[in-house]
Amino acid sequence: MSEPDSPRWLDEITGELRREVPVRSAWRARLLEEVARAPKPSARDDIDDRFSDWQEISGHPERRRRSITLGPLAGLAAATLFVAIGAGITYTAMSSRAGSHQAQRAATATGPQLVSGAPSPVEREVVRFELSAPRASRVALVGSFNEWNPAATPLSRDPASGKWVVSLRLPPGRHVYAFVVDGDVTTDPAAPRAADDDFGSTNSVVFVSSPRT
Amino acid sequence: MTHPYVPGFNQATMTDATLVRLVLDGDTAAFTTLVDRHAAACTRFATRMLGNREDAEDATQETFLRAYRSLARYEERQAFRTWLFQILINRCRTAAVRRQRQRRMFLVDDNAISLASVRPAADASDLRAELRRAIDALDPEQREAFLLKHVEQLSYDEMAAATGVGVSALKMRVKRACDRMQRLLREASDVGT
Repeated sequence: MSEPDSPRWLDEITGELRREVPVRSAWRARLLEEVARAPKPSARDDIDDRFSDWQEISGHPERRRRSITLGPLAGLAAATLFVAIGAGITYTAMSSRAGSHQAQRAATATGPQLVSGAPSPVEREVVRFELSAPRASRVALVGSFNEWNPAATPLSRDPASGKWVVSLRLPPGRHVYAFVVDGDVTTDPAAPRAADDDFGSTNSVVFVSSPRT
Repeated sequence: MTHPYVPGFNQATMTDATLVRLVLDGDTAAFTTLVDRHAAACTRFATRMLGNREDAEDATQETFLRAYRSLARYEERQAFRTWLFQILINRCRTAAVRRQRQRRMFLVDDNAISLASVRPAADASDLRAELRRAIDALDPEQREAFLLKHVEQLSYDEMAAATGVGVSALKMRVKRACDRMQRLLREASDVGT
């Protein structure tokens, strides 16, 4: 191999790196079978956004179209009431109807945390999401509650902890969500995972209890 | 120039944009031609990016399926290859993050490279092994930019469209990748002497 300092080194390694990686015929056959089974794409503009949304596909914010969806699970039970808050989270809500109270976070709490014990008139609870991503330059929260739009709920850095945080009000029920870190979709490492959707995307789950319980 | 269209017969001379139009008009066989044109480059990029063939094939498979489903969104002013790579890049990024979470892998650092007992590349297989280690040691963003620029030979404008990153940032990433590759490869060859 020639001396790395000379420009020839780049030519040599790129020559090697550009060597074609052969496509396996079994892989090709499997792909074409999947294509044959898939609904035919159409030039008409009535494409089901769950399957062809450009943000999901490209990872880039949509420039022209409306809201973005990112691999949500089908059949979210938005109106169902649950008692548990994720896995591993315990909290003690100050029980009072008046004013606002902070929920105490147990030492073993993981995942999004309930921060308000007092119901608003529309019965939404404030839930705090946080993510440790020290090398990220932008983080967004996406989920069923904001139509999986990465522009809707950006996180900001908490100067004290260095973590990316956001709090938002969510109605009671089961919510599926994920983080978008510098354009890359990732689940919340501290929260339970939802089942994979059809395209292999995984999401995280948070349960928001009814404020009455 | 016009000639009678025979499905699958004379598609080899058609542009990607024409093939896309055919697919949208109902000729799914035209998509096979697109796959055959671009699968090798996609597999190559994904293999270098992800470091293993299996993940690369999954990412490439997913890329073509998503491209197929969203074909109506392709705009001819952009090269089809660039549009396809936009999807592939995101699949690779997601796969890398997923794998990182699953295996809790850490990036190989410079020390690990220099401490490894590596003989100078006496033949092609040694060079390949050194290159693989050096590529794997790059930050993912630098690796991605380096591969797009020097292996897939996209222009910086195409890279910007495919990655969502600005041109000046991409140039910096490519430069840093080259500098780091040089250093890693030099250290690899030095260790053996």
